[in-house]
Amino acid sequence: MNRYLVEYALNSLLRNKSKNIFIITIFTFLVFLITSVFFISNSIKYELNKTVDHLPQITIQKLQGGKVVNIDSDFANEVLQLTGVQDAVARVWGYYYFQNGGVNFTIMGIDNFENQYTNSLQKIVDDGSTKPFHSDMMVVGSGVEKILQDNFFDGYFNFILEDGTFKKVKVGGVFKSELELQSNDMILLSKDLAYEVLALSEDKATDIVVKVANPNELQTIVQKIQLLDPNTRVVTNEDYKVSYQNIFDYKSGFFLALFITTLFSFFIIIYDKVSGLSSVEKKEIGVLKALGWRVDDVLKEKFYESFILSGLSYILGVFLALFFVYILDAPLLRDIFEGYSVLKTSFNLPFVLDIQTLTLVFFITVPIYVASTIIPSWRASIKDADEVIR
Amino acid sequence: MIELKNITKQYEINKNNTITALKDINISIKSGTLTVLKGSSGSGKSTILSLIAALSRPTSGEVIVDKKQISKLPDNFASLYRRENIGFIFQKYNLIPNLSVQDNILVPLIPNNPDIKTIEDKLHSVMKKFNIFHKKDIEVQNLSGGEQQRVAIARGMINNPKIIIADEPTANLDEKLSLEFIQILKDLKGEGRTIVVATHDPLFFDLDFINDTIELKNGKVV
Repeated sequence: MNRYLVEYALNSLLRNKSKNIFIITIFTFLVFLITSVFFISNSIKYELNKTVDHLPQITIQKLQGGKVVNIDSDFANEVLQLTGVQDAVARVWGYYYFQNGGVNFTIMGIDNFENQYTNSLQKIVDDGSTKPFHSDMMVVGSGVEKILQDNFFDGYFNFILEDGTFKKVKVGGVFKSELELQSNDMILLSKDLAYEVLALSEDKATDIVVKVANPNELQTIVQKIQLLDPNTRVVTNEDYKVSYQNIFDYKSGFFLALFITTLFSFFIIIYDKVSGLSSVEKKEIGVLKALGWRVDDVLKEKFYESFILSGLSYILGVFLALFFVYILDAPLLRDIFEGYSVLKTSFNLPFVLDIQTLTLVFFITVPIYVASTIIPSWRASIKDADEVIR
Repeated sequence: MIELKNITKQYEINKNNTITALKDINISIKSGTLTVLKGSSGSGKSTILSLIAALSRPTSGEVIVDKKQISKLPDNFASLYRRENIGFIFQKYNLIPNLSVQDNILVPLIPNNPDIKTIEDKLHSVMKKFNIFHKKDIEVQNLSGGEQQRVAIARGMINNPKIIIADEPTANLDEKLSLEFIQILKDLKGEGRTIVVATHDPLFFDLDFINDTIELKNGKVV
């Protein structure tokens, strides 16, 4: 590499300091925006995929008049009798709207003596640091703990029951699952307490989750359950996956719009560059040629110049995006994607560094900018030098 | 030896209009001489210089330098020819702003990517010779006109060219600085270099060390 040519390129950038600072600022912002969008979408996709993987294989819901209603708890025992079913658990869960915090908590009833339907729940129940689920104790996700503290509930919470009375429940422990989206807004209570908070009759359950010994038999078991009670809706984890993906794809449309706008701005800069050099730039090329520079010397210098500028902007943009998404948790942008409701509690985006994303952003920005600098310089440098100097 | 044989040069203004800058010119310049091209603006002086420097090609005719035809050189070879043979001194100096004196003088050497020792030796030599060594780290836009002229000469001399081409070199200098510049040209001629100066500055016309004066009018030798 010709060190003097690189030095000349650096000096050339410094010569037009204010113009180049402006380009770096715009370029960095564009890379930052595009990369942030990809980082957030990758993180959420990763989180959703992991969540789906942790969902029960089969969920049975009761339908009445086309609506989902609570199901008889005893139906779990009937399902358990089916050949191929390893376990069937009647779940008690629901949402509790906490008005002061403006958020929905997910309430989940836990029976210490039942097998839990996910490994993460089983870990929480088995964890010695969380106290047993007594009638006045609860274990909460870290997001719930933060909201309670922000609202001056220090180690307890007053649930408002169906009859309007308060039910004071102490926080017996806090868990932080590896799956932020699933666990952050969750409150685990004993089943008795969950029945009381959710105002549910004790012979009913919200739904029934089923574990199948052989995943290949999933569809057969689904058919058997539907034969057992035609008024049920039997949902598999694959169905959930499709549903989540649809929500994700829908939200991706917003990002696509943002992405297109950003790229459009970028190409305005590119168009401006390609449409021609200033008379000062043309004259400089002419002087360099008069002093013995060849066309390829001029192009090399312009390559270094544009690569330094665009490369620096790319690196700055990526690091800013990393900081914005994974340190600051992407304020504003994240709201577009987060959950299916604005009432969801906050969560941290898991760190997913996708090299393909970084490569894609690199190739749609840096080489295009470099080309947009080199092409007009090439046009100017192949002209007779005296024409350029005149 | 520089020879221009039957040279015609036309510039295309647009598709329907052309300007004839030189018409059937024949000039011969011996090596080691100082030749002055004189004439009013638009007479064709600068065009002759750019043809000798292979900055442009004639519409017809031949430019021969040391028995080599340079008027049909491909662009890259023309650049190499300039780098090795031509020292250019422009009317408005054409220094690169925001670069220091020594960085400006270094510009013609950059494509060769020489080692640091060669660079230091050459820089030291030309800066001493043209009395600008004490200003080597100053950015050129902070220099006086005379100093900028000396930087431009040093830059033209850094590759030790055989031919020096100066286009209206004293147009932006006062009489004292112009006389200083003329003395520099005299010294360079004394070193055996071929010098071609395009000017309409009367200071040049009665100099005893000028070998030839060619007067041009409307693209023809008078």
